[in-house]
Amino acid sequence: MTPAISVTGLTRRYGDELALDDVTFDIEPGSITGLLGRNGAGKTTLMRILAGHEFASGGSMAVLGDCPLENEPVLRRMVFVREDQHYPDYGRPNLFRVRHALQMASWFYPNWDAELATELLDDFALPAKRAVKGLSRGMRSALGIVIGLAARAEVTLFDEPYAGLDAVARQVFYDRLLDNYAEHPRTVLISTHLIDEAAGLLERVLVIDRGKLMVDAAADDLRGSVIRVTGPAIAVAEFTAGRTVWNRRRIVSQESVVMAGPLDEAARARAGALHLTLEPLTLQQFVVQAAGPAAAGARERTSA
Amino acid sequence: MNTWVKVVRYHLVDRFTFVGYPWAILAFVFLINLAIFASVAPPASQHGQSYSGALAAIYIVFGIVGSRAVSSRLPFALALGVSRRSFYTGTALLAAGLAAANALALTVLQIIERATGGWGMRLHFFRVPFLLAGPWYLTLPTSFVALAVMFAWGMWFGLIYQRWNLAGLTAFVAAQITVVTIALVIAFQAHIWPGVGRFFTVLSIGGLTGALAVLAMLLLAGGYATIRRVAV
Repeated sequence: MTPAISVTGLTRRYGDELALDDVTFDIEPGSITGLLGRNGAGKTTLMRILAGHEFASGGSMAVLGDCPLENEPVLRRMVFVREDQHYPDYGRPNLFRVRHALQMASWFYPNWDAELATELLDDFALPAKRAVKGLSRGMRSALGIVIGLAARAEVTLFDEPYAGLDAVARQVFYDRLLDNYAEHPRTVLISTHLIDEAAGLLERVLVIDRGKLMVDAAADDLRGSVIRVTGPAIAVAEFTAGRTVWNRRRIVSQESVVMAGPLDEAARARAGALHLTLEPLTLQQFVVQAAGPAAAGARERTSA
Repeated sequence: MNTWVKVVRYHLVDRFTFVGYPWAILAFVFLINLAIFASVAPPASQHGQSYSGALAAIYIVFGIVGSRAVSSRLPFALALGVSRRSFYTGTALLAAGLAAANALALTVLQIIERATGGWGMRLHFFRVPFLLAGPWYLTLPTSFVALAVMFAWGMWFGLIYQRWNLAGLTAFVAAQITVVTIALVIAFQAHIWPGVGRFFTVLSIGGLTGALAVLAMLLLAGGYATIRRVAV
C-alpha cells in the first residue's frame, strides 16, 4: 500500500541552524499519528513543508504517493490547520467573518461537509457572523478545527489545533474527531503539547527533538516500554544493571531511575523481592524523557 | 468550477478593497477638483482650459490594491490547498478583469466630460494631455494597460515584501532605480540621447500602450518568479 505520508531524509536549514535534520518516516493510510516534541523541535516546520507552505533544503517527501509542493491534485486531498494561521486582512476590520472563511473552504475542498461545519460551529459556540479579527485565541483555534474536520480531506494535518481552547471544547474536538474518523477514515497527523489528553487518540507516535526524529513507534508499544523504578539505591543499581537507563534521580539513599522496558514476569518478581516500586511511564512522561534535556546524554549512557 | 475562477471569487468576497476603495478615492479626488476649479478661474495661458492630472490617484490606488491582493491573501489561500501558481494566475485574471472594468468606466466618464464641456467648467480631469487625450478607442486600451501595469507592479512589491521583508523591498526599489540610471548613463555616454528624444517625440499613444503592455508582461513574470519562492 502506498503510504499516506512518506518522508525521506527531509532536512531544513535556516542559516547554520538545522530545523529538520534528516527526518525519515512513513505513515500508513487510515491512522492517527501524534507528532510530539518541545517548542522549536521542528514540528511546525515539518508540517509546513508537508503542506507545501515551506520548502525543504534537502530530502524528499510524498503525500498520497506524490510530492505535494505546487501539486493541486494532491493539495486538494489534504488540509493543514495551523496554530498561527494568517487570515485575509480586508480593508475594514470587521469585513472578513467566520462564515466567509467557511464559504471559501467549501469552494476548494471537494468533500466539504457543510452540515458538519454548522454542527461544529454550534458545538464551539462560534457565531458564523463574527469577524475573524475579533476572535479570541481559543475561537481562532475552533475555526481552524471546523475547517480541518469539515474539509474531510484524506490527509489531515493539525498543528497544535487547540491552543487556547477550554477543556470542554477540547473534549468536543476529541469526540468529533473520533466520530468523524470512524465514519470517514483518513490519515491524521496531529501535533500537540497536551500529550496525555490526546494519548487515547493516537495509534502511532513520532517524537522529534532539535530537528531529529527520536521515536517512531506504535503507541501501544510505548506503553510499558519505559518504566520508573524507585527504591533503595543499591537495589535499584542491582536491578537496572545491563539495562538502558534514561534518567537517574537520587535523594539520600533512595534512587529513582527511568529505564527501558518491557519487563518479564521474572523481572517483576525480582523487583518485588528487592522492594522496588515499578511504575510505567505515561506517554507524556515518555516524551519528556525522549525529548527532555536529560535525554541527549542519557541515551548513550548505559548502566554498568 | 475552475480553480482560477475560485481564486477570483476568493478575492471578490472583499469587494470593498477591489471596487469600493478605488472609486471612493477617485470620487473624493474628483469632487475636490471640482471644488477647486470652480473657485479659481482657468489661466489664460492654457486657452481657458483647466488641467488637473489628479486622475493619477486611481492608478496609484490600483498599485496599492495589487500589493494587498497578494500580501494578505496568500497564506489562507495556501492553507485551503491552492497552489501558488493557481493563486497567482487567478489574481492576475482578477487584475485583468478589474483593469478592463475600470478602463471602461474611465472611458465613459471621459466621454461625459467631453460632452459636458468639462463638467461645465472646462475641467480636464478624465482627459490627460498626450496620455488620455484621444478618442475612446485609444483611451480604453491605454487605461486598461496602464491599470494592469500598476496592479502587476503592486503585486510584485507585495510578494517581494512577503519573501524578503523590508530589506528586500528596499533592494527591489534600489534595483529599479539602478536599472533606470544605467539606461540613462548609457544613453548619455553613447550620445544616443537625441535619438532617444526623437523616439519619444514620434512615439504615438498606440506605441506607448504597446510598450506598457510589454512592461505589464515583464512585471507579471517577475511576480511569478517571486511567488514561487514565498513561504508562509
